Amino acid sequence: MANLSLKHIYKVYPNGAKAVNDFNMTIDDKEFIVFVGPSGCGKSTTLRMIAGLEEITAGELKIGDVVVNGMEPKDRDIAMVFQNYALYPHMTIFENLAFGLRMRKIPDIKRDKDGEPKLDKNGETIPVMRKYTKQELEEKVTEAARILEITEYLKRKPKEMSGGQRQRVALGRAIVRRPKVMLLDEPLSNLDAKLRTQMRSEIVKLHKKLQTTFIYVTHDQVEAMTMGTRIVVMKDGFVRQIDTPKNLYKYPADKFVAGFIGTPQMNFFEGMLKKDGDKVHIDFAYSDAKVTVPYSLLMKTTPQYLDGTKSVYIGFRAEDISLDPEIVDKSDAAIDVKISHTEELGTETLVYGDINMGGDGFAETSTRVIIKAGGFREYAPDTVMKAALDINAIHLFDKDTEKSILPRVPEYNFFDCSVRGGKLAFAGNTAELPAAIEASDGSGELYVPVSAVTFDGSIKGKVVDCEEIDGKFLVSIDVNGGRLYALSDSRVENGSVKIGLDYKQITLKIGDRECAPMPNVNSLTGTFVCEKRPETIEANGKTKTRKVAHYYLDIGGVKLEVPPSVYEKMFAATTGRKVYNSTFGYEWSPYDFAVADSGIEARVVGDLDYGAERFAVCEACGQTLYVKTDKPLLGTVMLLPDADKVSVIETERQIRIV
Amino acid sequence: MNVATKSKNFFKSIPDRIKKLPKKFAAKFAGAKEIITQGNGRVSASMIVMGLGQLLYRQWAKGFMFLFIQAAFIVYAVLTGASDLFGFFTLGTSESDAWYGVKGDNSVVMLIMGILAILIIILYVVMYIANIKDVYRTQCAIDTLKTPIGFKKEVGALLDKSFHKTALALPVIGVCVFSILPIVFMILIAFTNYGGDVVPPALVDWVGLANFGKILSLGQFAPTFFKIFGWNMLWAVLATAINYFAGLGLALLLNKKCVKGKAIWRAFPILAYAIPGFITLLGFKFMFSYGGPINYYIQQAGGEAVGFLGLDAKWTARLIGLGVNAWISIPSTMLLATGILSNINTDLYEAARVDGASAWKQFVKITLPYVLFATTPVLISQFIGNFNNFGIFYFLRGGLYADGYFLASDTDLLINWLYNMSIDNNYYSIGAAISLVIFVITSAISLAVYVLSPSYKQEETFR
Amino acid sequence: MSTAKAKVAKAKTKKVLNVLITYCILIVVAFVFFFPCLWLILASFSKSGSIYSFDGFFPTEYGLNAFDALFNDTVMYNYPRWFFNTLFIAVMSCILGTVLTILTAYCMSRFRFKSRKAMMKTTLVLGMFPSFMGTIAVYIMMTQFNLINQHWGLILIYSAQAPMGYMVQKGFFDTVPYSIDEAARIDGASNMTVFFKIILPMSKPILVYTALTAFTWPWSDFILPKMLLIDKDLYTVAVGLMSLGETEFARFAAGSIFIAIPIIVLYFCLVKYMINGMAAGAVKE
Repeated sequence: MANLSLKHIYKVYPNGAKAVNDFNMTIDDKEFIVFVGPSGCGKSTTLRMIAGLEEITAGELKIGDVVVNGMEPKDRDIAMVFQNYALYPHMTIFENLAFGLRMRKIPDIKRDKDGEPKLDKNGETIPVMRKYTKQELEEKVTEAARILEITEYLKRKPKEMSGGQRQRVALGRAIVRRPKVMLLDEPLSNLDAKLRTQMRSEIVKLHKKLQTTFIYVTHDQVEAMTMGTRIVVMKDGFVRQIDTPKNLYKYPADKFVAGFIGTPQMNFFEGMLKKDGDKVHIDFAYSDAKVTVPYSLLMKTTPQYLDGTKSVYIGFRAEDISLDPEIVDKSDAAIDVKISHTEELGTETLVYGDINMGGDGFAETSTRVIIKAGGFREYAPDTVMKAALDINAIHLFDKDTEKSILPRVPEYNFFDCSVRGGKLAFAGNTAELPAAIEASDGSGELYVPVSAVTFDGSIKGKVVDCEEIDGKFLVSIDVNGGRLYALSDSRVENGSVKIGLDYKQITLKIGDRECAPMPNVNSLTGTFVCEKRPETIEANGKTKTRKVAHYYLDIGGVKLEVPPSVYEKMFAATTGRKVYNSTFGYEWSPYDFAVADSGIEARVVGDLDYGAERFAVCEACGQTLYVKTDKPLLGTVMLLPDADKVSVIETERQIRIV
Repeated sequence: MNVATKSKNFFKSIPDRIKKLPKKFAAKFAGAKEIITQGNGRVSASMIVMGLGQLLYRQWAKGFMFLFIQAAFIVYAVLTGASDLFGFFTLGTSESDAWYGVKGDNSVVMLIMGILAILIIILYVVMYIANIKDVYRTQCAIDTLKTPIGFKKEVGALLDKSFHKTALALPVIGVCVFSILPIVFMILIAFTNYGGDVVPPALVDWVGLANFGKILSLGQFAPTFFKIFGWNMLWAVLATAINYFAGLGLALLLNKKCVKGKAIWRAFPILAYAIPGFITLLGFKFMFSYGGPINYYIQQAGGEAVGFLGLDAKWTARLIGLGVNAWISIPSTMLLATGILSNINTDLYEAARVDGASAWKQFVKITLPYVLFATTPVLISQFIGNFNNFGIFYFLRGGLYADGYFLASDTDLLINWLYNMSIDNNYYSIGAAISLVIFVITSAISLAVYVLSPSYKQEETFR
Repeated sequence: MSTAKAKVAKAKTKKVLNVLITYCILIVVAFVFFFPCLWLILASFSKSGSIYSFDGFFPTEYGLNAFDALFNDTVMYNYPRWFFNTLFIAVMSCILGTVLTILTAYCMSRFRFKSRKAMMKTTLVLGMFPSFMGTIAVYIMMTQFNLINQHWGLILIYSAQAPMGYMVQKGFFDTVPYSIDEAARIDGASNMTVFFKIILPMSKPILVYTALTAFTWPWSDFILPKMLLIDKDLYTVAVGLMSLGETEFARFAAGSIFIAIPIIVLYFCLVKYMINGMAAGAVKE
């Protein structure tokens, strides 16, 4: 019955270990969220921070509209189910369920002996806090027991019950209070496989019945996939991806998520991609396998990886490779697989093989392949068969960062281009380059981030597709045969459209010269100070002089007063007087500076004119700042950043606290 | 964590600790430095008068509490504290003289009161630091717009977040006064000449390491010490081994599937366990005495009464001691082993049976390693218990002094000798020095045993 | 076939032999442990009382003289008085000592506070000192506090020293999953409520174990009472029985039986808890 919001949540232990890094998420009411990841990934820590069992190092956690950082668990109106049930062994099931109610008081009004409300002098009821009556207790417990079908066990003790029944009691104890949020920490890990499946659907049923927000932690991806409305995949304290089960499966953001979700695990090969006209050659490493596919299937691929020099991971799910002769015959992308052994699963067969003819098909190497095949054929070991790859379902990952290079929303649009006399020619269009981009004549490459495409320019294109992704719309635009992707906040109908480029975001490579995009973050370092000044306040018609504290960011001696929204968060994330003794990184976007009479003294060293916008390049405090300006600046200026919009990084622990 | 692991870790970490010491001090000092440089006037006020800063912050209850502590301490210092502390160093200056009616100083009492005074001073310093930290915390809270923790909240926390402070207060005070203070006293006594003729009303004095020198060099102490030490070691090893293996054997025997009525069979050893030790020991003393039943049968058979526990009965007395000790101690080992055996995973045995291992092999390969692993800490504490087993020979042969020994007999353990010397014969300082030596030996042995034991070598195997 | 049959037969005789030997050993063990007790019981029913008039292990004549003397001849040896002294001291120290030990163990197991490690190490090191050397200091302190020759002095010492042996209990609390505490906290209980309403009721085995050890120690201790109690009327049974001579053997035996019976009964009732408690403290790290 409440939504949750987690903003920049960190958990840093005193020894400096970071268990949770910059966790950001909004959880809507009635969602079933699953945190999944290998042990030590921070999923339980996050859950325990929501429960209030662990302190939040930095960040803001809201349940409903209330910031609950530092609030006691019992006051958060949450309930938690533990892996080992954590039932009170000496109490009966009834008492176990009733304990939470007995510990609590509820608001009521004062009553006399007959139950009639007592009134005060003004004839109004008198609010009091009272315990649950015996009858209320019994009603609530029986109701919870009825929902979980444990009514007949109420008189028993936990040790007289089986694991599954105990877990029901644990669930009952959680729901008896009707909490705003249910937290479940690996509740099914102690059960055997059959019970686990059964309890899984019961928990889902319970979620439907209660209409409450559920947050569920598990290391089991099957549980995650079957139960969650949305899943948070975590590893090493970082959130890797937050999405619906379907999207996680179809569009994993990195190799870890791809390998973690789905059984059997996704097949990962190493290889290289080389674009050749409208074809792409895929070369598999450690094997003779090669396929050539049309570029149109791989258009979202980050272009840098298509030049045949960068090794990448190529992923195919077991069901996206086929041994069916009919499909193989039709396929352009078939490779040789040496069959090693099979696993019969009844309805289907898992065929293990190797694309390297010397491989054994058992060890998990980058040539081993698992194929889901129909259960109606014999696959003799050591025979070599053709297997067809479904290129529509290919996954590609960078070899070092393991990030997807074929993401759902592509990073860049890539074009061959040429510059002549300050005019940029690409994809059959020419556009005037703004003054800020100094490019000599020649031909080269143009990278346009998806976010740099605007819908208000002069380039003509044709919208061919529009798909909704996370509330935004990815628009595919055909520009003279070249494909351009753009992000839009609203749906764009198919048809012709005029687009423009945000030049400050593009990268232009002409020969050896590269025009990089303009940084959008300005970092400064400084400290935090408090100053008290006497001020006269008028109250009740009297004037009083009081000392009032003002809080400032001190950047190289320049003091910038900050509003409560900033300093309160800084206070919350630090202990003692540390906030006054630490250095912080302060970050602003180029739009958050104003040129004023006083402020940070900066020397203007350059002027970037992007046509629509103009930025000044300044040097201050040893840092280069990019500042939005309307007219060219000269000499030395005073820059006044907008204190409301600052981001604060604590240098010592490297965490973002505002 | 058990006792032995703790001790192992403690000794192992010593070099590391010494290395870290400067850093640790620096860290401690950094906190103090922060308070001194950043503390405001109210913090300074609390440094001068405890609680003043809190009062200035209008935290009345806290302020007055600290103020009261300071006042109480000053009153204590003026009334007795200062002189007690002074007495700790001098151990008395005026000797009593009944002739002139001088009441004189009691050095020993002064020593104890001195230690007490030091304990109280430490407590006061802790409170003083807590007072400064508290007011600084209030300053920090106010400076960062957080609500300072008031007296009410702090008291409320004593039942919740800081429940341990409430719960541990009494035990800590009790242990400090009745365990730590006596041990500190004993350690200090080892460096005085207390004992012999030098007992109150005579004045005791500090003598440095002289007592340890005496144990090792002086004619009367050294030979006795080494003789007793040799026997003590032998005794501890034998007694521990007998009790351990016999107890384990008994537990295994009772654990056998073919034994019916386990509870009844187990009852007999438990009977022996439950009878208070001194009764058993006195009973056995009677049994083996000159007029006791054993000698009765010997005389009936035409023999002469044997002084089993007499002055010249060296080995018979020692063997009887071992036997009686076994009678007393085996049942407890048996109970412990029973508990541990019930925890063994029975799959292991089934696997072994399938592999064709004999019963003996199963014992050697499965039971023994597991039990040894689980009981090493107990083994060590049993060893120390036997090393310092005072009761056995005190009851069986107490008060005998044999030739060639100084105030001891040939069955006496170091601890019995200690008792004879200090309690019966007033050699307090030498006794204290010996007990320090015993302490060093026992801790060294337990460390060595632990390091060589299976639990240490294969800590992960049974996890 | 025949060899197989022979093998089966051989295995069978081996099994029978095995059982036979096992029972033989058990009988011997039972005898060894039971006989001294039997001897004491028989001796208590001796008419003459002195050990010298015995026919070996067995009294020549049986009677209830010893028990009669024990309870009625209280001029020299006031046994009933000693018995109730002992009972008073043991019960009081048991209650106080158990409370303090359990509290200490619980805090050490559940709370992480600054001085925790230091405290655990201190108790560990202190445990290795020969304890009675400290009794001199205790004695002097008791004279200073005017608690010599008083039962409360003994009770104070016993209960104050009891928390030193908190390790076994801590081992037990360590086995209680922490999530139970957390569940209770989420249910709205404070740490004190958690301790009294959740942890304590579910720790019966260790409570019993602690209470039993805290009871038997003062019940059978003799060094401290001997040192601190001067008046014969204030003696505990242990000190009193030690003052009996060999001629009073029957009386000693009778007195021993009375002091042993309560403990034996307790042990037999609680042997299960004992085994659990000991194992919990030993196996767990």
